Amino acid sequence: MAIIHAEAAPETRGALVASGINLSFGGIDVLKGVDLDLRPGLVTGLIGPNGAGKTSLFNCLTGLYHPNRGRIALGDTALDVLSPARRAGLGMVRSFQHMALSPDLTLLENVMTGLTLSRRSGWGSAFLPMPRGRAETQDARRRAMAALDELGIAGAADLAPPELPPGTQRLGEIARALVGGPKVLLLDEPAAGLNAVETRDLTRALRRVMHPALIMVVVEHDMDLIMQLCDQIYVLNFGKVIACGSPEAVQADPEVLRVYLGAGDE
Amino acid sequence: MAVSELVHPEGAIRSPARAVPDLRKWLAALVVAVLAVLPMLSGSFLLYSLSLCFANAIAVLSVSVLVRYGGEVSIGHSFFVALGAYTVAVMEKHLGLGLWISLPVALLMGFAAGLLFAVPSRRMSGIYLAVASMALALSLPELLIHMERWTGGFEGLYISRDLLPGVAKAGQRYYFALAALILVCLAMAHFRGSRQGMALLLARAHPRAAEAFGITRSWARISVFALSATLASLSGAVVAFASSTVSPNSFTLWSGIFYLVGSVVSLQGTSLLAALVGGGIITLVPQYLAGAGDYVPILYGSALLIVTLLANSGSGLRRLLPGKGA
Ligand SMILES: Nc1ncnc2c1ncn2[C@@H]1O[C@H](COP(=O)(O)OP(=O)(O)OP(=O)(O)O)[C@@H](O)[C@H]1O
Ligand SMILES: [Mg+2]
Repeated sequence: MAIIHAEAAPETRGALVASGINLSFGGIDVLKGVDLDLRPGLVTGLIGPNGAGKTSLFNCLTGLYHPNRGRIALGDTALDVLSPARRAGLGMVRSFQHMALSPDLTLLENVMTGLTLSRRSGWGSAFLPMPRGRAETQDARRRAMAALDELGIAGAADLAPPELPPGTQRLGEIARALVGGPKVLLLDEPAAGLNAVETRDLTRALRRVMHPALIMVVVEHDMDLIMQLCDQIYVLNFGKVIACGSPEAVQADPEVLRVYLGAGDE
Repeated sequence: MAVSELVHPEGAIRSPARAVPDLRKWLAALVVAVLAVLPMLSGSFLLYSLSLCFANAIAVLSVSVLVRYGGEVSIGHSFFVALGAYTVAVMEKHLGLGLWISLPVALLMGFAAGLLFAVPSRRMSGIYLAVASMALALSLPELLIHMERWTGGFEGLYISRDLLPGVAKAGQRYYFALAALILVCLAMAHFRGSRQGMALLLARAHPRAAEAFGITRSWARISVFALSATLASLSGAVVAFASSTVSPNSFTLWSGIFYLVGSVVSLQGTSLLAALVGGGIITLVPQYLAGAGDYVPILYGSALLIVTLLANSGSGLRRLLPGKGA
């Protein structure tokens, strides 16, 4: 019913809606009836203690995990049976909690892999320097460079990820996610391993890339980043949404204080 | 200059900085220049050995492509090499067709065989895939002998048609093999920066991340295998032409293992210098070790073991060990 609701109100067109998501591994329930309503133009925070199920929820949204029950739709498109690659084709991209850049590619080339789906060049131009393939590569390179530049790390373009500080690698992952102009951007702990300065730069960069057609979801333990960046927050505990609403409302929620903020975060 | 730079010209893989490749380019150009004038200076036996070395270098490179871009290991590539070699030989013997026609057909055959193997085995990896590839190589001699009417059985077949009629035979073989190797290396250098090449490198390092950007595991595996098998088949066609003969003994399981040894020794490089090192070792060493007779496989086995133990820190060989989920 959430979906019908979403279609009725114009501002929710193109929303990413999950309803009643249940996920279990070997009899252990990881997600228990999670509902999400993520709208274009809003940054949503997803917080909760370690093991609450945040990454698992991301994995359900992107198709790496298959929920035992529940439905996921992006706009009018039901995602449930689509593979991760198909969902990527619909404009859903993500970054990973554990760094997932190829060490064999430069940072710039890693970002270029974010354009794989929108590139058309065939196998001929993979082996032979053909004009069309060249032009396409040039274009991809330019767009990847622009994405790096937007995040302020263009200087690291030609270095390999293992040579870069974690902050730059994180931003590189975000650049790779952004370069194709996604509809949905899911960030799993983008500030993990970053120092205070890098986290501040990241927060600013994310603000800058936000636009009215983008759905951005951030999983993060860094409360400053969440509070500064997010328009709405979902709090997850033991696989259940225990609160959702504006940062202020969530911060004041007694249950959240007890379960999450009171438990002390790292 | 450090030996490691000679054998591992793609050390850049770890640190793709710009300065060193220039030096490598010059070195490669120098090697090409020397190889290009060599026939004017040397005897025909050396030329013959070198032609085989170039052909084997392509086979080694085909295995390196699989390891580098697919993170997988094959010990059965002798199957695809034999397919290319026999395509050339059979087309000459039974259809009277020369290399101009049989070479493209050999490439297609390698591609098709690569697909046929990769599709059903696309969910296997590590030791399981290696063993599956071994089965291919083991079945091959039997197959060739069984199809005696076409393949000449134990005896094998001769290849006598020229590529360019009227040109000295040793020269044609040598330059054809050299040109094939150089073209393959240039194509692979270009491939490294292509959409497909970069997608494969991402898929090898982080299959899930790759999937999240539309690069599926099946696509990655099938593509890299088809590419690798096509190159192996090309190498077979070059072997057939360069040595004028094909027979089941040239394509045993040992050949498949030697290609892997060559690939390990060349640190899975896909550059000209790396391929030459790998091809050189597996071609020339046996000739000089001919006196050692039965010990050759043991020497190779030990070499493989030692190099693998010493140098496997950064390669797909690690995936042979069980327990490393993706
Ligand atoms: N593939 C899996 N197989 C079995 N259990 C899993 C799997 N993936 C996640 N889990 C379990 O699901 C629970 C939630 O894990 P998840 O990674 O989603 O938590 P999280 O909220 O992202 O935690 P963190 O803040 O530590 O990243 C954990 O108990 C975890 O052990
Ligand atoms: Mg997590």
